Amino acid sequence: MNFKHKYVFLLPGLIVLIGILIFPIIFTVRLSLSGWNSFNPGLDFIGLKNYIRLFTDDPRFWQSFFRLSFLAITTVFLQYIIGFALAHMVWKDIKFKRFFRVLFLIPMMTTPVIMTVIWRTFFHESLGPLNDFLSIFGLQPPWLSSPGLAKVSIIVVEVWQWTSFMFLLMLAGLLSLPKEPFLAAAVDGASPFKKFIYVTFPLMAPISIGAIIIRLIEASKIMDTVFVLTSGGPGTSTETSSFFIFIKGLREFQMGYAATASFTYLIIMIISLTVIVKVLTKVLMRE
Amino acid sequence: MSLLLNKISFKPTEEYHLNDISLKFDSGKMYTILGRTLSGKTTLLKTIAGLQTPDSGSINFDDTDFLSIPVWKRNVAMVYQQFINYPHLNVRDNIAFPLKQRKMDENLIESEVKEAMEKVGLIGFESRKIQELSGGQQQRVALARSLAKKAKILLLDEPLVNLDYKLREGLREEFKKLFNVSDESNSILIYASTDPLEAMQLNGNIIVIDEGKILQSGTAKDVFENPATAKVAEITNDPAMNINKCLIQDNSLIMNDSVQIQIPDQLKSIPNGKYLVGIRATDIYLDDQGFAFDVEISEISGSETFLHLRNNNLKCVATIEEVKTYNTNEVVKINFDKSKIYLFEESGELQHSPYQ
Repeated sequence: MNFKHKYVFLLPGLIVLIGILIFPIIFTVRLSLSGWNSFNPGLDFIGLKNYIRLFTDDPRFWQSFFRLSFLAITTVFLQYIIGFALAHMVWKDIKFKRFFRVLFLIPMMTTPVIMTVIWRTFFHESLGPLNDFLSIFGLQPPWLSSPGLAKVSIIVVEVWQWTSFMFLLMLAGLLSLPKEPFLAAAVDGASPFKKFIYVTFPLMAPISIGAIIIRLIEASKIMDTVFVLTSGGPGTSTETSSFFIFIKGLREFQMGYAATASFTYLIIMIISLTVIVKVLTKVLMRE
Repeated sequence: MSLLLNKISFKPTEEYHLNDISLKFDSGKMYTILGRTLSGKTTLLKTIAGLQTPDSGSINFDDTDFLSIPVWKRNVAMVYQQFINYPHLNVRDNIAFPLKQRKMDENLIESEVKEAMEKVGLIGFESRKIQELSGGQQQRVALARSLAKKAKILLLDEPLVNLDYKLREGLREEFKKLFNVSDESNSILIYASTDPLEAMQLNGNIIVIDEGKILQSGTAKDVFENPATAKVAEITNDPAMNINKCLIQDNSLIMNDSVQIQIPDQLKSIPNGKYLVGIRATDIYLDDQGFAFDVEISEISGSETFLHLRNNNLKCVATIEEVKTYNTNEVVKINFDKSKIYLFEESGELQHSPYQ
C-alpha cells in the first residue's frame, strides 16, 4: 500500500482544520505572550506579563466572568424549565396542537439582533410601551439603567429568544420516547404527576443533558444581547467575558491582552463544561 | 366479588371494536378470551384496565362504578403482548415500580419483589438493565411486576405470543402454577389468546369473541363439545373445524356431487334441508374405500401432517397422524368419522353436536 496517497486525500481536510482551528489557537497563544497594542503593533515577546496582569490586577475580567456564569446558568435553567413545560403541553393531543407548536417556535425564527433592538425600545424608560403601561400603577422602573434591573432585562430577552430552541429539542425528545412505559405506568398506579416524575423525566435525562449543554455553550457567548441592549452598562454592570474581550481587543486595541483573556477564558470554559457534564450525568441519570 | 360488564360498546371508526358486551367475571377464577387477531381482545382488556373508555355501557367491580375511576386508581395489573418494561430502571426497580407508587414500606417492597422474582425464576438478575435481558426474561419481568402488585384483576394480553416455541411451552407451564397461586389471593385472571390449544390447556372459562361480539362463554369442555355457532367451531379449533354447506335428503348427507355419505343413526331425526356440516380435521382419516381428494398443500407439524384437500368446490383440512410428504395434486382417499359430525343451521347456530 502506498502511504503517500493517504496524505493526499487527507490534505484538503487538514488544510481547513489547520486554517480555521489550529492556526488561530496557536496564534492566540503567541499573541497572548506579546504586548501588541495600538502604540506597539507587532509580535514582540513580553513573557507572562499579560497573564500576571490578568490574574493579579484585573478584577473587571473576573467580575465579568462570574456575571457571565450567573447569566448563563440562570437563563439556561429558565429556558429548560419553560421549554420542557411547553413541550410537555403540546406533546399530548390537545386542541390546536400544530398551531401552538409553530407559535412556540417563532422567537427562534427571528433575528436576535433585531429582536434585541425591539426589546430595547420596549424597555425604554420614558418612551417604551412597558413603562407606559406600568405608569398606570405609578411605576417607572429603570429597566436598562439600574445595575440589577439591567441584568433582569438581559435574562428576559435571552429566555424569550432561546426558549424556543430548548422547546424544539425537548419536543423532539418527547416524541421519540417509546409509548409503552407510559401504558405500563398508568396501569401500575402512577398518577399523571408521578408518571412525569418517575417515567417521563428519567427517560428524558439523556436528551435533557444534551440540550442543557448545547444551550450552556451558546449562552456562555452572550454578546449580541448585551451589546445592543445595554452595551455592558450601566458602568460595567452587565459586561460579560466576551463583551470584555471585545472591548479590550477591538475598542482599546490591546490585542495581546485580549488574546490572554480569550485563552484563559477558553481553558476555564473547557474545564467547567466538562465538570458540568459529569455532574449532570450523575444527578439526572443516577449513575 | 365480581366484575360486571354491562352492554359495553366501543366504535371509534365505522366498525365496532366492542359490540354490546355483557360479561360477569367472578373472583378467584380464570377466564380465557379466545378470538382471532383484531377480534377485540386487546380493546376489551384495555377497557377493563381503564386505558380506553367505551362509548356506552357500564363496568362495575365490587359494587363500585369502575368507569368513573381513573386508570391509576383501579387495582389492576396488565401484561402485554409486547414486552413492556421501564427501560431506565433495572430489573428490581421495574418490579418494585407499582409498589412504590403505593408508598409501601421499603422492607415490604423488598420481600414482595423477591417473592415475585422467585415465582418467575429471575433471581440473580436484580441489578441487570432491561436491555441486557432476552425476550423471555423481559416478559418474565413484566409478569413479575404484575404479580408483585397483587392486583384484584390481572389482565394478560397474549403474553406468550412473541416468545419462541420452547420458552412459550415453559412459561405456559409456569402460568398454570402461578394461576393456582393467585387463586388464593382471590383475584380475577383474564387471559387473552388466539391459540385454541393454549386456551384449552389453561382450562379455565373460555369466552369466544369475534368482531367485537361475544359468541359464546363457558367451560373449555363445553365450548369444545358444543360450539354455539359454526364461527365458534372455527375459532376454537386449530386447524379450524371444516365447515361446508350440505344438503340432507333421503337419509344421505350431500356435500357435493361426489361426496355423499349415509346419514348415521344419531342424525336420522334431522329434517331434510340445507345445513352446514362441521367436521374436525382430526376426525378425517385415510381410507382406501373413501372419497378421492386432491392435495393442495401438505404441512408437517411435529408428529402430524396437515393436508389441505380439495374435491371440486369442497375444501377441507385433515390431520393425519403420521409424518409423510405428499405432493401437490396427489390424490388421496379419505373418510369422515360419522359419529363426530356436527350440523349447523345455515345461519350458523348449532343444530346437532355428537356430544349432546
